[in-house]
Amino acid sequence: MPEAAVNHYKADLRAIEFTLYEHLNVEQLFALEAFSHISRDECDAIIAQCHRFVNEVTGPLNGAADRAGCTLERGVCTTPAGFKDAWKKLFELGLMAFPMPVADGGLGGPHAIAVVLEELQSGANCAFNMYSGLTHGAADVISNFALPEDRARFLPPMVDGRFAGTMCLSEPHAGSDVGAAKTRARHLEGNVYAITGTKCWISAGDHDLAENIVHLVLARIEGAPTGTQGISLFIVPKIWVNEDGSLGGSNDVTTASIEHKLGIRASATAVLNFGENDGCRGILVGGKPHMGMKQMFRMMNGARIAVGVQGLSVASAAYLNALRYARERLQGSSVRQFKDPNAPRVPIIEHSDVRRMLVEMKAKVEGMRTLCVKVALHADLAHALHAVDEAKAIYHQGQVDLLTPIVKAYCADQAFRVAELAIQTYGGAGYVQDNPVEQYCRDAKIFSIYEGTNHIQALDLVARKLQQHGGENFTAFLTEIAEFVAAHSDKPGLGAEIRALGEASAALQRAAGSLMEFFMSGKIDQVTLVANPFLEVMADVAIAHLLLGAAVVADAKRTKDEDVDDDEPNRHEVDFYSGKVMAAKHFVNFVLPAVHAKVGAIVSGDRSALDMPDGGFSTAF
Amino acid sequence: MKILATVKRVPDPETSIKVKPDGSGIVADNIKWVVNPFDEIAVEESLRIKEKVAGSEVVLVSVGAKVAQEQLRTGLAMGADRAILVVAEDGLEPLAVARVLVKVIESEQPDLVVMGKQSIDDDSNAVGQMAAELLGWPQATFASKLELAGDQKTATVTREVDGGLETLSFPLPGIVTTDLRLNEPRYASLPGIMKARKKELKEIEVGALGVDVAPKARLVKMEPPPKRQAGKKVASVEELVHLLHTEAKVI
Repeated sequence: MPEAAVNHYKADLRAIEFTLYEHLNVEQLFALEAFSHISRDECDAIIAQCHRFVNEVTGPLNGAADRAGCTLERGVCTTPAGFKDAWKKLFELGLMAFPMPVADGGLGGPHAIAVVLEELQSGANCAFNMYSGLTHGAADVISNFALPEDRARFLPPMVDGRFAGTMCLSEPHAGSDVGAAKTRARHLEGNVYAITGTKCWISAGDHDLAENIVHLVLARIEGAPTGTQGISLFIVPKIWVNEDGSLGGSNDVTTASIEHKLGIRASATAVLNFGENDGCRGILVGGKPHMGMKQMFRMMNGARIAVGVQGLSVASAAYLNALRYARERLQGSSVRQFKDPNAPRVPIIEHSDVRRMLVEMKAKVEGMRTLCVKVALHADLAHALHAVDEAKAIYHQGQVDLLTPIVKAYCADQAFRVAELAIQTYGGAGYVQDNPVEQYCRDAKIFSIYEGTNHIQALDLVARKLQQHGGENFTAFLTEIAEFVAAHSDKPGLGAEIRALGEASAALQRAAGSLMEFFMSGKIDQVTLVANPFLEVMADVAIAHLLLGAAVVADAKRTKDEDVDDDEPNRHEVDFYSGKVMAAKHFVNFVLPAVHAKVGAIVSGDRSALDMPDGGFSTAF
Repeated sequence: MKILATVKRVPDPETSIKVKPDGSGIVADNIKWVVNPFDEIAVEESLRIKEKVAGSEVVLVSVGAKVAQEQLRTGLAMGADRAILVVAEDGLEPLAVARVLVKVIESEQPDLVVMGKQSIDDDSNAVGQMAAELLGWPQATFASKLELAGDQKTATVTREVDGGLETLSFPLPGIVTTDLRLNEPRYASLPGIMKARKKELKEIEVGALGVDVAPKARLVKMEPPPKRQAGKKVASVEELVHLLHTEAKVI
């Protein structure tokens, strides 16, 4: 019997509204020429429709789809019950069109709002959202780099849901080391090449949701240079698409297997064989050879932010479920009445340790959301100011570049930690499938692995992004924090925490200094040894800054009506703002101090992990 | 064919409603507002007729506060052509709403009026019936199926009644009120939301219509339902039967 559909998803629309409009002033975008075709009212209506859609359609499928998984029988991949109908409704709603350019049939909406739409969709059903997310990523690459005739051939059906999309990078022996890819392309005519090779770990690689799947495949044209320099990008449809847009025959793309995974089990992760019978054709993207890595990086950068948003979304769903459970579940009496055996049972939210876990989850979730929206806002401003104020546009793009690895790695790590804390809040009830948090925890683990592992992100940060533009992006990041600390360090009730942010930022600079010394003295292995702790330090500083920024805004609103009685209608608004202030203070006092320990480790120059003899790990085998 | 569909702004059924401490009404701040779900079904049904009958027009009408614009925009985003908002900041009684609607209907002259059978806030279930009576039009309430004759001169409505279904046929113009199973309303699509902003939304002050909207009843007090008391555990089936008989007096 099919499992009953239960929607466990909860979104905090009030918190989202605060981040968008009260804290980060996303409304400034609508005054700019680039976004003048859309207004806040419309964005709010779109968020409301998306919220309704995920609660009514995709949210109820999440648990049952996880249990059912995908199947591959005689080369045909089938998604869980309900996915096909949800896919159809998703494209009727037209959510995919939101961030796409108007010229390609999209709405040209701001990324800052798209982040919210992604949070809702991915939080309600992370696995289902993989199919549409990959389709969007592939469409975005085609929109930016493909020739006009190929854009016309592939984009309209990708925006209306007839075609889906994927990105095919990894091969059995080329994962993080993309340059080792062996898939080959042999020139046939014009921009058409014969493709042969095997790709693996292909998310949404095969399924029954769309008529066709458009794979973006990295391959080496015969005679091209070795390494990443010689890689080109091809549009390889599962079913060939004629120049007039009609479907041709099979394009010799076969699904060898799908993986059995820890999480996102309803997302088909495929091993794909291209050209087993020498009948697979691909179209060179933009007609330009050897540009594959540059073109694919656009998709990867977008996808890295999207993975960060996935982290936010699953963490938020886990937190709100844990909160609901903690408010309802009665267990034990209040610690204040520990001597009275007849004291009434209390909801577990009254226990100090449960409160500690809940506040930590809240702070991290809201910190992640603020970080994701802020980076998206930087991207929107870079786009909107491009032709107006080039210097400002460069600054905003610089912050996007600098913070992308932090969005990806921090949100990926914290999604798993928050989901784990959510399980701990439930206790045994969280470890079983009756409640959704064990699935959130399993789903979240992949975030730190795919789309460039978190170590790849840390390497990107320390080896590339810190020095970008002569270090100006990093300096601008530190300057913004220094100005915030200077402006608010005497603030009653928050001054101590704001000064602590200043100290953490100073520690971050010391750690960056040590990195430079390691580089200068040729200790590259030392740099890579401390790259991850460095990223974590920078992320904690960034999150503390954003949470305190929110707290300053909330504190000003809260003090206006602090004398409100419990019965007053706007009591919960006052509580909402107090929650912002207290979450920020808790984060600074309970989480941020770890920065100093990590910086201590970085600057120590300790090489024990590197100097360890192989037998030192264990002599057991 | 011209179809008029009603749209009322009501609190989201998912919202937890709080009664004001003085019992004068509900706390209206900081709650989510939506289109009355039965009205949403009325809009959907109107749009389906429009899709079938070429050249049709769907006009939305709401009677309520200025902020009800938001719900009319939602209906426009679903696909309606234009909207009329009769602005009345104070809540009106069903008879007053019916009189206001009659004025709008007289000026618009629709072939068909489709309305929710009731709004989920006050649950009066009265406006459709009253408006039909005031106009002298036929009415079919609680529709679970609506069909129009090929010439669009008559409507056939299936109604859900106690113990079965009743089918009525009547000449147009007339009023139909919708039940839950009539259809499944569509989502307002993103392109629909973008188009809605350019559609006409006309506002009329209720005072300008010259109808008597003075309240005939006075709200004495509103209070939340009493909190559920804790249950009682019994030791045996015998005890349960005994208590149901002597204490609860239900058997």
